[in-house]
Amino acid sequence: MAFLELDDVTKLFGKLAAVEDVSFNVDQGEVLGIVGPNGSGKTTLINLISGYYKPTRGTISFMGKKISVLRPDEIAKLGLVRTFQSNVLYEKTTLVQSMLMSSRLQYKTSDIESFMETKKYKDEHEGVVGNVLQTLQLLDLFNETFRPASVLSHGYQRMLGIALALAANPKVLLLDEPTTGMNYEEAQFVVENIKKINEQGITVLLIEHNMKVLLDVATRVIVLSFGSKIADGNPHEMMNKPEVIEAYLGTETV
Amino acid sequence: MNVWLNRFRTYDWRNMWPKVVAAVPVIIFLLIPVFTQGEIVLNMLILSGIWAVAAMGFTLILRTGQFSLGQAAFMAIGGYTCAILTVVLGWPWWWGFLLSGIVSGLIAMLIGSVVLRVGGIYFSIITLSLTEVIRIIAQQWESVTHGSRGLITTPPPNIDLGPLHINFMANSVPFYYLTLILVAVTGLVFWQIGKTRMGGTFYAMLANQTLAEHEGIHLMRYRVIAFTLAGVFAGFAGAIYANYLTVISPLIFGLWQSIQIMMMSIVGGMSSLVAGPIIGSTVLYILGIQLSRLPIYGISQLLYGAVVVLVLIFLPKGTGLIDLWPRIWRKIYREVEDYEIPGETRQED
Repeated sequence: MAFLELDDVTKLFGKLAAVEDVSFNVDQGEVLGIVGPNGSGKTTLINLISGYYKPTRGTISFMGKKISVLRPDEIAKLGLVRTFQSNVLYEKTTLVQSMLMSSRLQYKTSDIESFMETKKYKDEHEGVVGNVLQTLQLLDLFNETFRPASVLSHGYQRMLGIALALAANPKVLLLDEPTTGMNYEEAQFVVENIKKINEQGITVLLIEHNMKVLLDVATRVIVLSFGSKIADGNPHEMMNKPEVIEAYLGTETV
Repeated sequence: MNVWLNRFRTYDWRNMWPKVVAAVPVIIFLLIPVFTQGEIVLNMLILSGIWAVAAMGFTLILRTGQFSLGQAAFMAIGGYTCAILTVVLGWPWWWGFLLSGIVSGLIAMLIGSVVLRVGGIYFSIITLSLTEVIRIIAQQWESVTHGSRGLITTPPPNIDLGPLHINFMANSVPFYYLTLILVAVTGLVFWQIGKTRMGGTFYAMLANQTLAEHEGIHLMRYRVIAFTLAGVFAGFAGAIYANYLTVISPLIFGLWQSIQIMMMSIVGGMSSLVAGPIIGSTVLYILGIQLSRLPIYGISQLLYGAVVVLVLIFLPKGTGLIDLWPRIWRKIYREVEDYEIPGETRQED
């Protein structure tokens, strides 16, 4: 029984197979890279795992439990949290407000207890606020804690996206192209943070186009092309396989 | 003794003044009947209060990202429940009143569990038609509701507690305090929700539904909670309305009333859960009464709509009259707000 298991997962939109018969396992604690040219189904795969889409065929299981039939919020409760490629954020809220809204899963107290503001809730709330501030500090967002997300640069807005995902207490973090639009320093910062997050025991699934980032941090890589898995293994080996090069660059014509 | 005194040391004294000034209207409201027993003033306040409760419910539902045009329907359900239980079935008045809120809430929960799944514009249209459906049911179910003839409601019985002798039929004062209590309870409950974790959860659903769902927030659960709470208090408001006017008929809770409730929330300020709807409903109710005196037919609705549009134009971004308050304070203190500096990005070191 693998940690996260995908079995023959297929997603059809009409007749178009965005993802076709994809199977792989994810072990606890690894950093799995997912690569492939544009349109190969990487984001669709994340959408399927996080529950945003339901697979047309096949199943996805997490810790033995079938999650492909669950709602996104149920899947997040089990510990699978994703970020978004288009980097969705809460509009017009300050950083700390967005983080608190995202940290609903850190609470064990019920809604009624929070309404009555019982001592148990207040103590838990203090702890959560502490975690939130700690996460903001970790991702170098602390200086803008009380300011709206619009004052952040694009790179830091993506860091906020990762922070919001961390606020939801993930066991598995699904990062959808986190370094898009970042310069070298910002991308390095993301790499360091992914390593730190992974050291804390969180499994990471990483969709990336930036090869430097990928080779630096991924322990294993899966390559997708036109919805199918074409390679699975060590990152350095994968990048040199002819099928992979063909998927990205095409074959030579004589 | 010292521990008790220590509490005052940590109290936020500097920000005390806005709260003190805001407490003044509350005290005034409590003491109004001491200064004036004028029926006109009390009538206006009672009806503003009733609509305020419905408008607060609208704003609560809005806080979860849904736009409900069905608040008048739940007022009707509450009003008819109370009237039928007390007049037709002869129940004691206070039980009828209690049931009006409970029945409205239960129906809101049942309907909400189905209708809130679609959300968005479809939900709004369904709530709009719900208002009309309730009106038609009230009209056609003659055996229970007496149809278009309406029901004449019985007022609450006299209360005799020691030196206290309350006669609901004598003047508007007892109804005034009853309405005030309802407004206060609704306001406190909603304010507490807004202040705590559930309010943040609601707002997350409004700000970005997809993100909220992926952060573990069960959308349906909270939408139904908000819809049910709004329905409960609208039911109580409807019961007071029916009993104060001494008549309930299908005509008084219709489409126009649902739209009015929405406008009261907008004009008061959609960002505010308690003070906004109260101000909005008072202003619009008074405006409505004054406008209805105009001799030209239909002009009142026209001007009413014009006022709403003017508020939307001059008070930007979903704010309403309630947001004039912080603006006034800001002018007094001349604080420079950090917020809306366009184009500023983070300084990289």
